[in-house]
Amino acid sequence: MTDTAGLALEATAVGRRFGARWKAPAWALRDCTFKLAAGRVCAVVGPNGAGKSTLLALAAGLLVPTEGTVTVLGTDPASARTRVGYVAQDKPLYPQLTVAETLRMGADLNPGRWDAATGERIVADGGLDPAARVRSLSGGQRTRVALALALAKRPELLLLDEPMADLDPLARHELMGVLMAQAAQHGTTIVMSSHVVAELEGSCDHLLLIGGGRVRLSGEIDDLLAAHVRVSGLAETSLDPHTVVEARTTGRQLTALVRPSGPLPESLRTSTPSLEELVLSYLRNPQAPGTTPAEHEKAAI
Amino acid sequence: MTALAAPAALRAPSPRLSRWLLRLHRPALYVFTGLVLVLAAALLWLWGPLTDAAAEGWRQWNACGDHPRCSYDQDAILRYKKVYDVTTLAMFLLPFLVAAWAGGALTGGELENGTAELTWTQGVTPARWLAAKLALPAALVAVGTGLLVLLHHLMWSAGEGRIDTSKSWYDTLTFAVNGPGLVGLALAGLVVGALAGLVVRRALAALGVALAAMAALWFATLSALPYLWPAVTTTGDLDSGFAVDGLHVDYGLVTSTGRHIPVPVCNGRCEDVYTKLDAVGIYNDYHPRSHFWPLHLMEAGLLLALAALLTLLAFRLLTRRTATARHREEAAV
Repeated sequence: MTDTAGLALEATAVGRRFGARWKAPAWALRDCTFKLAAGRVCAVVGPNGAGKSTLLALAAGLLVPTEGTVTVLGTDPASARTRVGYVAQDKPLYPQLTVAETLRMGADLNPGRWDAATGERIVADGGLDPAARVRSLSGGQRTRVALALALAKRPELLLLDEPMADLDPLARHELMGVLMAQAAQHGTTIVMSSHVVAELEGSCDHLLLIGGGRVRLSGEIDDLLAAHVRVSGLAETSLDPHTVVEARTTGRQLTALVRPSGPLPESLRTSTPSLEELVLSYLRNPQAPGTTPAEHEKAAI
Repeated sequence: MTALAAPAALRAPSPRLSRWLLRLHRPALYVFTGLVLVLAAALLWLWGPLTDAAAEGWRQWNACGDHPRCSYDQDAILRYKKVYDVTTLAMFLLPFLVAAWAGGALTGGELENGTAELTWTQGVTPARWLAAKLALPAALVAVGTGLLVLLHHLMWSAGEGRIDTSKSWYDTLTFAVNGPGLVGLALAGLVVGALAGLVVRRALAALGVALAAMAALWFATLSALPYLWPAVTTTGDLDSGFAVDGLHVDYGLVTSTGRHIPVPVCNGRCEDVYTKLDAVGIYNDYHPRSHFWPLHLMEAGLLLALAALLTLLAFRLLTRRTATARHREEAAV
């Protein structure tokens, strides 16, 4: 058994460049390395244009990396195609088909894997009329149908690009419930990108923070929170040799988010940051050093 | 461990793509079938009643001779001509319609709104998606245009020699729709459109690109046509004309050494110019009636070869852009 077993997703030095070679090529993703164990619910967080969509499309086999390798469920993304579910950001569906026809299409295209009952239940739970045309559906209803298509193929890995972006809070809560039930029942690995950190807290256990096309943070959310400390104290207090993610001085008062490399000075008051504080601190400070995956691996052991 | 179930998944039954395709492009299927049926009905009408009536009209007209007062069925002759012209033009436009649809709806539109990627993440590989999208329409287009070409050829042959105004075999539009070349052009149109959609990835732009490419392809076909089969050369003395019964390729003067030279400009004093050039006769290169089938088969063959080449290009483009299995051969063992 290779060491890729038990991993749902692995990226090794992955880069993806867009644009023609003779023009100024733009790297949407560069030097991206991380591992995600099977069964996790992973949040991919980052500002707009950070490369989240590119990463998910690479994992889904819709794009090929310019450099590096992506390994999905122990194989290459194309070979894993039947075992991976993917919902794109704008939830593309055929507008001329009805909801029932859309699900029948899923059955036709996924022979041997399709779970019709799951698809129909997800659609019915939203009160959707199977005879309704997709073009007549609201944003939330479309998302529900797209999720039904992705879940009824019984994926081992589910990739969701901003799944809740255009939903009202109620629909967001409902669909998150559908997803979490799926993950709990079938052990599905879920990777979802979002820029709303609040909606991820409590449902995700793994975080992948992407900024400027690179991985800034990667690891179990609990480990990441435990590895960071919010400190406050007098402005002249030296924070060396600890890694400072963000520091702010107001008058004589210093507040900072640090990754301690040893015992902190006694004079500082410490508290545990929330996930949102952690993510925002990194997003506000693009130059702050991230954790390398190697470091994290050691930490996780 | 479910993550190790890859070989089993590869042996899964193949997706039912044709039912999905037929549902997806049902309007196009109806429009195409309707068009073929209407045109086929028009061709049958032309072949039978209209040809007979027009032929009878011409027989009456020719029987009149120099009679100053004579009646003949002019309406029948005009009706035949009008229906013939419209049907022939409509058939000629079919390949362009196919190209526009393929570019706009078959590939371009799907890539624009992301439904292509939806399919690719529903257990269908991009290559398989394209294969299905090309194969099924290609079969329908080949059968539809093939049927129309057959009917048109039978209809045209029935009027040949009986209707004085019937089109010659080498009339541009009549030639285009009267043989397998039209089937070749329609299939090339399908691939040209599909490739335009893959390259441009936007419905309306792909439709425009496909139509422009088809116009270029048609003019290229038209200019290449006379050279697709060796022409027949006839010679005569200087008094015989340049008129031939067939598709003209080239004409000019023959010198006493047998050299072929172009016709010089001479303002009424041609004899002097001809003598100066040592011209002793004229020549004509042309395709007689018997070259109809060789020309048509060559045209169809070349267009099909082009379609095959463009199909290969489309697959290369798609597989280079999206992920293809690295271990398929190993896994299949």
